[in-house]
Amino acid sequence: MVAPADDAPPDNDVLWARSLHYSHSGSPGLIGVSVSVRQGEILALTGPRGSGKTTLLRCLAGSLRPEQGEVWFNSVPVHTMGALARERLRRDRFGWIGPEPHLVPELKVWENAALPLLIAGASHRTAKHTACEWLERLDIAAFARKRPGALTRAEAQRVALARALVNEPAVIFADEPTAPLHRAERALLLRTLTTAARSHEITVLLATHDEQSAAVADRRFALLDGRTAGAAVSAGPAETTEDQAACSLSA
Amino acid sequence: MLALRLVRGSRPLVQLRRLLVAATSAGAGFLLLYVLAEATARPAGSFPRLLWALVPLAAAVQFAVAVARTDPATRPREGMDAAGLGPVRLTLAAAVSTTVACTLGSALALAVFLHLRGDLAGLPFDAAGSGLLHAEQPLPVAAALTLLALVPAAASAATALALRPRPATAGLAPQTGVPWGVAVCACGLALQAYAGQGSPGLPAGWVLITLGLALTGPGLAYACGTLVLAVRPGALRLLAGRALQEEAPRLGRPLGVLCAVGAAALTALALRERGTVFAPLGPLTGPAAALVALCAAATLLTSAVEVRQARTATRETLTGLGAPGTVLRTAATLRASALVVVCVPLSWGVAQLTSLALTR
Repeated sequence: MVAPADDAPPDNDVLWARSLHYSHSGSPGLIGVSVSVRQGEILALTGPRGSGKTTLLRCLAGSLRPEQGEVWFNSVPVHTMGALARERLRRDRFGWIGPEPHLVPELKVWENAALPLLIAGASHRTAKHTACEWLERLDIAAFARKRPGALTRAEAQRVALARALVNEPAVIFADEPTAPLHRAERALLLRTLTTAARSHEITVLLATHDEQSAAVADRRFALLDGRTAGAAVSAGPAETTEDQAACSLSA
Repeated sequence: MLALRLVRGSRPLVQLRRLLVAATSAGAGFLLLYVLAEATARPAGSFPRLLWALVPLAAAVQFAVAVARTDPATRPREGMDAAGLGPVRLTLAAAVSTTVACTLGSALALAVFLHLRGDLAGLPFDAAGSGLLHAEQPLPVAAALTLLALVPAAASAATALALRPRPATAGLAPQTGVPWGVAVCACGLALQAYAGQGSPGLPAGWVLITLGLALTGPGLAYACGTLVLAVRPGALRLLAGRALQEEAPRLGRPLGVLCAVGAAALTALALRERGTVFAPLGPLTGPAAALVALCAAATLLTSAVEVRQARTATRETLTGLGAPGTVLRTAATLRASALVVVCVPLSWGVAQLTSLALTR
């Protein structure tokens, strides 16, 4: 991979993005966001709902293609990859856990956890062995032969975590993974995630709007209205539009 | 009318399905009118003919219900609920939209029927079927309208019943229907063997066989899934087999009905080879059989569409995990082939038994 010197990302960054722009059918989602993630760190993406955390995660994970800007993973450009290559990258190197567990309802718990390995072409025996090991580590081995419908939310979310961890990815994208959980379950899931990440040197990007959840991270990256928080967000024009909206409502 | 507004805004494929519903109900209505005209001209033996004409009607109703189930306009949706249109009113909207399609079909059937009899003049093929449709006999208007109202009434009632909001309960396992289905099938075969040709027992026997196969269908589809899963499945067989097991209740019934229709077709072929031509609806037996086969096949395809809609979330999950499109497509093909492999021999076997029973 030969790239111009000023374009190549720093060597110790596992993920690196520069001036990402993305809009959801017209309404801006990301406006010039740049971020770099170091190998093995846990980075919290903070910001209120609608600030662009999920969009940024999906751009970095290659499931969305930014309209402008670059995304590099281990010095490989993700933004120029074809759909197939990005699919393979997501399958082999990335793990994803969202606010909903999104388990496949007809598969048993261990089959859900083993799915990334099976899709990648691992044999039935290896996949089952590895998946059951991870379920054991996450304390949900007792449910291995049940269907996801029989699990509580916290248990289902831990299965989703096992599925994200099972192929020992380089990066795990955690998009509000604790959103549907109560505080005790929340702390447990985060502890599990961070312990697994540190022991296997997995980089974690944790999107959260919750201060306590963000506290487990090594570093924070704040977003607001699709921009890096602290960057010039002019208050003046926003107020004017609000006034105009109020006027047109009262008229 | 809200139902009509919802109908107007939908995509071409959905409109095509509704058009097919109108067309099949037109076919069923036309056959009923033909039976009525036959009965006014030759009252003898009209009851078994009427029973046979109910078979296309049942097929048309089954298809109409399957289409209503897949109709995106009448599915409970967030936007609709927010606008104050809950599941109950959407069920009513679905029933209304089915009634509209079927009534259109019935009106078309009446127009074509009168035209072919020569009662409406001035178009090509005018009075082309005056002999077949007994134009010399006056048509009893009340009876004709009652028969034509049968399809819309039955279809909308069945739609409302099938789509009524119910609390989610864990249904019976699909395998539980198999013994019942086999027993009902055996009863149907026995009835056919006892009744012989030309009596009302023959259609009743076929109804029992169809019912039995429809009861067996879910268990069979589940067994197909188990078969696909046998011996250390990889991703492909795992996804295909588990999906088959999951969707067995939904796909099994129309599959069983299609098996019964296939068996009936094979039986008719076997009987023809042995020199017995069996035509309960006279010269319209062929078109009626084609209509029933079309309805059964279209119902199965529509149920497949329903399954596809229900699996959207799963498909998105799998794509999110990086499953290549080929894996998903191959899994779908594998599911379909497994069903074909089990159902073709089943149809053949039932056809062997019925033709034995009818030519003993």
